[in-house]
Amino acid sequence: MPSKDKGQSSITSTDQELVLSSLEPEQLAGLKKHLIPRRHLKGPERFVIWSLRIYLLFMIVVVIYQVWASLH
Amino acid sequence: MNLGPLSRLTQQRVNQQDVVITHEDVDRAHDRVRVSAARAQRGPFSKFRLLWLLVGPGILVMLGENDGPSMISYAATGARFGIGFFLPFVVLTFCMAIVVQEMTMRLGSATHRGHAELIFDRFGPFWGWFSMIDLGIGNFLTLITEFIAIRAGLGFFGVPPWAAVGSALVFLCLAVAMHRYWTWERTLLAIAVFNLIFVPVALLTHPNWHSVGHAFITWKPLPGLSQDTLIIILADIGATVTPWMLFFQQSATVDKGLTTKDIHLGRIDTVLGAALAAAAAVATTIATAPLFVHHMTAENFQGAEFAQALQPLIGRFGAALFALGIVEAGMVASVTISISSAYAFGEVVHRPHSLNLPVTQGKSFYSVLFLLAATAGAIVLIPGLPLVYVVLLVNVVAVLAMPPALVFLFMLANDREVMGDLVSPLWANFLATCVVVFLTLAGVLFGVSVIAPNLFAFLGGK
Repeated sequence: MPSKDKGQSSITSTDQELVLSSLEPEQLAGLKKHLIPRRHLKGPERFVIWSLRIYLLFMIVVVIYQVWASLH
Repeated sequence: MNLGPLSRLTQQRVNQQDVVITHEDVDRAHDRVRVSAARAQRGPFSKFRLLWLLVGPGILVMLGENDGPSMISYAATGARFGIGFFLPFVVLTFCMAIVVQEMTMRLGSATHRGHAELIFDRFGPFWGWFSMIDLGIGNFLTLITEFIAIRAGLGFFGVPPWAAVGSALVFLCLAVAMHRYWTWERTLLAIAVFNLIFVPVALLTHPNWHSVGHAFITWKPLPGLSQDTLIIILADIGATVTPWMLFFQQSATVDKGLTTKDIHLGRIDTVLGAALAAAAAVATTIATAPLFVHHMTAENFQGAEFAQALQPLIGRFGAALFALGIVEAGMVASVTISISSAYAFGEVVHRPHSLNLPVTQGKSFYSVLFLLAATAGAIVLIPGLPLVYVVLLVNVVAVLAMPPALVFLFMLANDREVMGDLVSPLWANFLATCVVVFLTLAGVLFGVSVIAPNLFAFLGGK
């Protein structure tokens, strides 16, 4: 028998059968704790991510300056 | 049990002895049984029944993004530029939103994992926290603007600010009090459809349909290239494609329990949502176009001013509809954005995160959701806060934060280990690349106009 979560005593065996027959394994809340293996980022991918990160930081400074200039 | 694409990667062997069944699972299983029954049916209405059961995340995310600041941006667009270039441009931004949001729906259906969770697991906590900081700041700022919109809209009816903020928080609590995703989704969908209230407002202004048709066909008259135009362009893009939408639709897709079999109808859900939201956005732009002659500027970006300004043209009833539309937009978005934050928080810290959870089992989920909204609401009550600039700022910041967010989405949607055969096709990758390049260039042009006005003038700007 599948186990029940703490405080889940109202879950019946019919419910358990229903869950196991109608949901995919990864849909079960209890099994989502399994981590998906890490992916190694390639050089070009790292370059694009860092470039966009720097772009975002720079543009935030620009926006702050624009707001400051508008208020003064 | 059925197996999704992720099973190969996680190597899960579902041993029935190890499975912990929760109420969340049971509720989702009941929803899936109804979907399976509808899919097995034959007859003229069976497809509509199936579509009815599966629509939700796409419509909610699109109408949710037609939020307070978005509607105010569309209103400012109509008031500032009238009927012309911006009508087809707004529709184009929704086409971009479809390209982006389809990827999140596909990811959620294939992996049953939220966006934040996937970024953390696949790319590690370093990039995961960067994404979360972007999302957290963006969502919090956007929530503030939702309360600004609610305050401004209810202010039209004489409701004091504290009562407006309080009623929004009560609405939020009632919206999530059902502890059932399905009920929450259907209730919010019914309320979100009121976003189309801007259509009768537009009709009350008796628009020149010849000009409207001409604008859609020719994209003219064109606005002059100026910093004001760029801000409106960025605000309109930010009114349609923002980071919270990526996180929300993927998490809602997972919470609803969509699987790979539902992807086709998930696409219809997304397109349907975009069509409804585009109709409301275009209607808002048309509704305020008569104000074009009054040369309204960014200083008039508060919702209530638009309703008051429209009153001589469309009467008290029409103006009240406009103000109600702003309130509805803010109310719905305050719910979806709070939930988007709570989903992401739960995914990252591996705490229960579902609208199917009773409060006792989802304390952290509901606490994050409410505390975030309450803090944002409290900030709006600070006297003398430059609310106008906060509204303006939020949509611009949303556009600037999109390219980094989109790159992670792009990589995940093309990750064959995670997606299997459901990786993005070539055409989707091409369109997604165009969206990233377009958003980045729009941001760069805005940056040039601010820090190098001479270069901007050289490029033809004013």
